[in-house]
Amino acid sequence: MMDVGRHPRIKLFAYSEVEHISGFIGNFNVKIRKKARYVIEDECTACGDCTKDCPVVVPDEYQQGFSSRKAIYIPFPQAVPSAYILNMEECLGNNPIACGKCLEACEKKCIDYDMKDEIIEVEVGTIIVATGLDVYDPTELDEFGYRSYENVITSMEFERLICAGGPTAGHFVRPTDRKVPRTVAFIQCVGSRSGKRGNRYCSNICCMNTIKDTLLLYDHYPETKCKVFYIDIRAFGKGFEQMFMRSKEVGVEYIRGIPGEVVEDPVTRNLILTVENTTTGRVEQHEVEMVVLSVGMEQRSDFDRLQKMLTLSTTGDGFVLESHPKLKPVDSPTRGVFYAGCVESPKGITESVVQSSAAAARASIILNAGRVKIEALTARLDTSLCNYCGMCARVCPYHAITPPDRKLGIYPEIIEAACAGCGTCAAECPNDAITMRHFTDAQIMAQIDAILEEKPLEKIVAFACNWCSYAGGDNAGTSRLQYPPSIRLIRTMCSGRVDEKFVLYAFQKGAPLVLVSGCHFADCHYINAVTWTQRRVERLWNKLERLGIRPERLQLEWISAAEGQKFAKVMRELEELRKKVTPEEVQQTREILRREAEKERARKAKRVEALRSA
Amino acid sequence: MKEEKLRIGVFVCDCGLNIAGTVDCEAVAEFARTLPDVVAVVRNKYTCADPGQNEIKKAIQEHRLNRVVVASCTPKIHEPTFRQCVADAGLNPYLMEMANLREHCSWVHQGDRKAATEKAMDLVKSAVNRARLLEAQHEAEVPVTRAALVIGGGVAGIQAALDLADAGHQVYLVEREPSIGGIMAALDKIYATMDCSI
Amino acid sequence: MPEKAKFKCLRCGYLYEDKYTPGVPQERACPKCGSNSVRRLEEKSTSPGNR
Repeated sequence: MMDVGRHPRIKLFAYSEVEHISGFIGNFNVKIRKKARYVIEDECTACGDCTKDCPVVVPDEYQQGFSSRKAIYIPFPQAVPSAYILNMEECLGNNPIACGKCLEACEKKCIDYDMKDEIIEVEVGTIIVATGLDVYDPTELDEFGYRSYENVITSMEFERLICAGGPTAGHFVRPTDRKVPRTVAFIQCVGSRSGKRGNRYCSNICCMNTIKDTLLLYDHYPETKCKVFYIDIRAFGKGFEQMFMRSKEVGVEYIRGIPGEVVEDPVTRNLILTVENTTTGRVEQHEVEMVVLSVGMEQRSDFDRLQKMLTLSTTGDGFVLESHPKLKPVDSPTRGVFYAGCVESPKGITESVVQSSAAAARASIILNAGRVKIEALTARLDTSLCNYCGMCARVCPYHAITPPDRKLGIYPEIIEAACAGCGTCAAECPNDAITMRHFTDAQIMAQIDAILEEKPLEKIVAFACNWCSYAGGDNAGTSRLQYPPSIRLIRTMCSGRVDEKFVLYAFQKGAPLVLVSGCHFADCHYINAVTWTQRRVERLWNKLERLGIRPERLQLEWISAAEGQKFAKVMRELEELRKKVTPEEVQQTREILRREAEKERARKAKRVEALRSA
Repeated sequence: MKEEKLRIGVFVCDCGLNIAGTVDCEAVAEFARTLPDVVAVVRNKYTCADPGQNEIKKAIQEHRLNRVVVASCTPKIHEPTFRQCVADAGLNPYLMEMANLREHCSWVHQGDRKAATEKAMDLVKSAVNRARLLEAQHEAEVPVTRAALVIGGGVAGIQAALDLADAGHQVYLVEREPSIGGIMAALDKIYATMDCSI
Repeated sequence: MPEKAKFKCLRCGYLYEDKYTPGVPQERACPKCGSNSVRRLEEKSTSPGNR
């Protein structure tokens, strides 16, 4: 911590928040709000004279509320920066007549009641997101009696009570009578691994944290008896199993089963736990003097703000989605942005440090190179075909297209370095004004032509996204999962690229069945481009129906890179559907679409002419 | 480039028996010769191996190829390989296209040589048709501002900031609370070595 | 905000009701066959295909 404070190349903005981020890899512009702390940070010597005279006493959040602090305070003795802060909401009033005692006490005169928030702008090439976690609040689990019974505490509160720098100077005592408890129960998985309340996932660290806590207790108070109530103990890291064994050796009792109820004896203030011991199959009661709830962790409740700013994705559990779970585990889908620590998933200190160094190394690669190449798969706009509708800017998952202004005659602009190449803009542009390099309309339609030139009735045209469904097909191949040979895949980078007209063109060329396939929503490699795929397919279903073509002939499927099984299953199902399409039906469809295409051509010619003459 | 007459080379890979065991690769190669603008067709046992790559480079020179279609495995594995290969021979890497005869054909239609061969022909045809319309692409380069932003001053942010700064980069570390340290600063001891947190 | 809507699986033909929030795209799978070709049936054809 100290190293950060004195490093010549680290500029620390404490008590500050990121207000706005724009730009792209290599060129991010960041606005930081430095909140007023009312103490001049560089001049404060942390002498503490101000605190002595401050008359306001409030609970100390660092000590989990077990002790108090003043309105002007230092968060903890080793704080970096080593400067006091005045909480203006707690202060009696910044009017010196009301109080002003701290100002009087401060010899260096570094307290400034009129300090204002500052906005600071910096330019950076890469960003590391290390926003950490929220600790689960177990209040909603009323069976455990947290907040009803004082002697039920969380594992975070335990840390302060056992710490030499804590409110009790390291004397572990129970809140009601300030006596060292002779029996302590730990309840595991509080807020974790539950389908009903809290979270479904395992919070990773709580088993080891409890094992550590029991050993700390035995170190301090060998006579204290610990009982751990658990679902299963997960001690999988280096040295973890040994710690678990050691805690058993010193006498910690491990009981498999989570208590259904904790009740306080109003006289002794002891707690009675009722639990089904799943090893013995019996319902037991355990009386202890104190209960520690081993709470899990969660994504920051306000993370969505930053998520939107950086166009990041999250998985179902709220933690961020990596660019690739195995090969790019610290890269975000937004190039130049990396993850470190619990923002990505619950993890311990060691893993966080490992991941942080990995993220720093990944960021260094870009910074050292000094220049970055942008893969030539980006979108290009032909302004002569643009009619300022702004659809492209609205659908771009990366905000890589600036919105147009019809009145001022400003066309949308594609920021190439921010474009990831999903092609959603090109697919949604009603005027075909956007070309995707290396995945042009003509190139894709030429593939459809080739596939359907001969025996079209026997073939299914399938569009597959590069990252998931195409890779799902590869997975089926690697696993030698057999399926009917009727399918013909056309690869696009993202299913968002699949233009309405590709689908209609395939039907016009005699395809009995068309499949659009992409990533599951949570896996989408282009943030939310896949949601536009869905909307487009829904629109197409309506259109097909209106034209008198069975919507069933257009199929939609989300297949992940790992779902070879699903890929093969879908191909078998599609083959069954294909067989039901008669040559007459296909012929009729071709007629309908030929007439439609003629009408559309006439419409478009008119539109282009109007645009050109304007 | 646009005006230049198309000269496409198709390289059909046996992949040992991985493809040739199911697909009649000779028939696919013969078929490829009939496709428009195809001027050279080469069969390889393993196209991705050095001898196979050398065949591609040689054919590019000999036949003055300006498009290359490699009919082998998934581009997810070997697209970078063959892009580099054609680039070494002086062709823009975006003028190379692949047809996936292995993962998407021979491996998944093992009992049906006839249908698999027909499908392989379709895949090659599709790739050739696409290749005819490919254009050379140049990857844009943008300069990088040599500084990093680290959001969050817990143990993860601190470590990342120190590593980056020690590597010589300017770092801006933003912490919401009045002090850095995060959750770890509130812990007493850390498992598994029981050392102090601060 | 979520309302009920009718859905039809275009793979197996299964008809069912499910929650639906207008304007919030959601991944859907047929409860019977698991397919994602699930089409929301509109009560009345209110501007189908607004393009």
